[in-house]
Amino acid sequence: MSATESTSPAGEQTPASDGLIERGRRILSRRTEGRAVGLLMVVWVFTLLFEPLVWTSYEVTLGRIALVGLVALGLTAVILMGELDLAVASTLAVAGVIMASFDNLLLGVIAALATGLLVGAVNAFFVVIVGINSFIATLGMLFFLRGAAFVISGEQPVRIADVDAGIAFGQPVIGPLTPRMLIFIVAFVALYIFLSHIRVGREFYAVGGNRQAARDAGIPVTRRVFTGFMISGFISALAGVVNTLERTAADPTAGSTVLLASFAAAIIGGVLLNGGRGSVFGTLIGASALGMLQVALTLSGVQVDVQNIVIGGVLLLAVITDPASLRAATVTARSLMQGRAAQQDTGGVRLFAHRHPRWGPHVHRTREMTRCASDT
Amino acid sequence: MSSQAPAPTTPHPSPARAEDEPEATPFKLSAWLSTQGIVIFTIALVLFAVVFVDGFASLPNLTDVFNRAAPIGIVAAGMTFVVISGNYLDLSVVAQVATAAVVLIAVTNAVGLLPAILLAIAIALVYGLVNGVAVGVFKANAVIVTLSTTFIGLGLLRWLTGGSIYFGDSDGPIRTFGTTRIGPLPLSMVLFVVVTILLSLVFTRTNFGFMVRAYGSNREATRLAGVNTPAVVIGAFTMSALGAMLGGFVLAAFSNTAVSSMSDGYDFRALAAIIVGGTSVFGGRGSVMRTLLGVVFVSVLTNIMVLTGLGFGFQQMAIGLLIVLAVSVDALARKTRSS
Repeated sequence: MSATESTSPAGEQTPASDGLIERGRRILSRRTEGRAVGLLMVVWVFTLLFEPLVWTSYEVTLGRIALVGLVALGLTAVILMGELDLAVASTLAVAGVIMASFDNLLLGVIAALATGLLVGAVNAFFVVIVGINSFIATLGMLFFLRGAAFVISGEQPVRIADVDAGIAFGQPVIGPLTPRMLIFIVAFVALYIFLSHIRVGREFYAVGGNRQAARDAGIPVTRRVFTGFMISGFISALAGVVNTLERTAADPTAGSTVLLASFAAAIIGGVLLNGGRGSVFGTLIGASALGMLQVALTLSGVQVDVQNIVIGGVLLLAVITDPASLRAATVTARSLMQGRAAQQDTGGVRLFAHRHPRWGPHVHRTREMTRCASDT
Repeated sequence: MSSQAPAPTTPHPSPARAEDEPEATPFKLSAWLSTQGIVIFTIALVLFAVVFVDGFASLPNLTDVFNRAAPIGIVAAGMTFVVISGNYLDLSVVAQVATAAVVLIAVTNAVGLLPAILLAIAIALVYGLVNGVAVGVFKANAVIVTLSTTFIGLGLLRWLTGGSIYFGDSDGPIRTFGTTRIGPLPLSMVLFVVVTILLSLVFTRTNFGFMVRAYGSNREATRLAGVNTPAVVIGAFTMSALGAMLGGFVLAAFSNTAVSSMSDGYDFRALAAIIVGGTSVFGGRGSVMRTLLGVVFVSVLTNIMVLTGLGFGFQQMAIGLLIVLAVSVDALARKTRSS
């Protein structure tokens, strides 16, 4: 239990005697959402200046945020444990296709959601029981499910049987809120309560922060990882259902942009890829920024290709401005500046360096040392 | 770190195992499968195809298999460096192959062959540098980095070309290269074998190859030994980029056309070939020669599926499954080795 408290972002104790500014700074330094807030500000300023339509047609914007955000929420649960679920977009596509291939709407939805849970469980099985890196396991799953979506749908969009239900689903129910946004809000609140107020969810942070410590503290790590992947699978399947209902047809190629945007949302929202830090609020802010960005680009008539460039750029920026990445880069830069790298460096990419009198002996020593150190 | 040169003996807490010969350890099925299995599987698959699949063992079909295997194989041979360096894979080969193919055809049509090749090399170096710096210097996750560079690269390519198809000159050097054959072997297959041998030499005979392996099996030890690890990672991604560029050339020459969507599926086919060949995704173990076997396996499997009428969807499913299975065998082998 103590492990849980020290690794969760809100659970640290602060001496309250400091000044208000100092306390504020400390709270800020503990938060991880800074980059997402920054991006959101930039997007706000640009949209207010150049594309105010984003604000006036807020139903569209909110719908986009809900689409990106829903998948990103599921990802958050997995990334908090230091794992990654690349299969989310394919799960979305496959769930939509499965739902559309049932004649009965309710049965279809149930089957789709069950598929999501199953996909999550299979992913978790490969990650914790077999011991494959989650990037590779879920990547294999991504290809498998994408293929499955093609096979089930016969490589073309499938119309849902009950088109009226789909059209009704796209209509606002409370104020301007469509069912999609309500589902997103419910998922957000549920995940927030789960991750910060329920023991099982709080243990996610411990599992991500230090897996061995969590295991030693008696946390059933295997079960938690299963829970996390199943949450992610379920939420992506839910997103697939929502998507299919709104479009009244399931597209087997759905979701490739969603994959990119939801990853960017979660990562720029401050969910650390190594696990243990982050919050659903960060993901919400990140999803808002990316959703607004996408809508703004669409409304200004920018092509999908250019949108992909922009979102890919945001994702690349998000991973390299991760605190750990910046630290690594600073260390490298400093050692370069001080010239140590120049002296110590054996010329990592210098071919045939062992023939060179100056590099020779050192390189051979390096070889022996690395051979001892690695057990291959 | 602060010392001038590292001490000759580092007190590194590694399980001090001797170089284990396969014979010295008790026989473990998963370990054997992950290192030697591919040879048997490939032979079995080819025999199966020859006996049971109609039309497999015909000359036109075999030439077709070779023609399709060559670009994937060249891409996979380059990407092997990234996998062995412990950085999982380079997803951006999809964008790189398409870019190289379009550049080769379009720029040759507009300016000439030499400027086209030079431009493609420059683009490949940029890809290697961007991926390598993000992964090697910033220590960012390779999958996420290359995923984003894929979207950036493909987005740029589609935006600049407008998704149009480029046709090569009907009797230019590209066309000649694509149609020349030595017996049943197309020239591209010969190029693939030559590239594999060359890269294999780089891998086994140079310091760079050695350091890629060292970095893949123990990053921290390699860094402490004074190796410029960011340079190793950048080098590995540059190898992958150059391989993808050559693969794009071969692909463009084969069909004498180029379009931005022509390389769909190259990422996972290449990865499947590498992993099935027995190179470990956990880094440090594997070789370029193994990738050659893996390419044969994946190509024959794909060809069987095409001949039996299973479409792109089934191929993706099969290859996704293949990746997960092969990695599972590797993971189980590691477990039995370490216990």
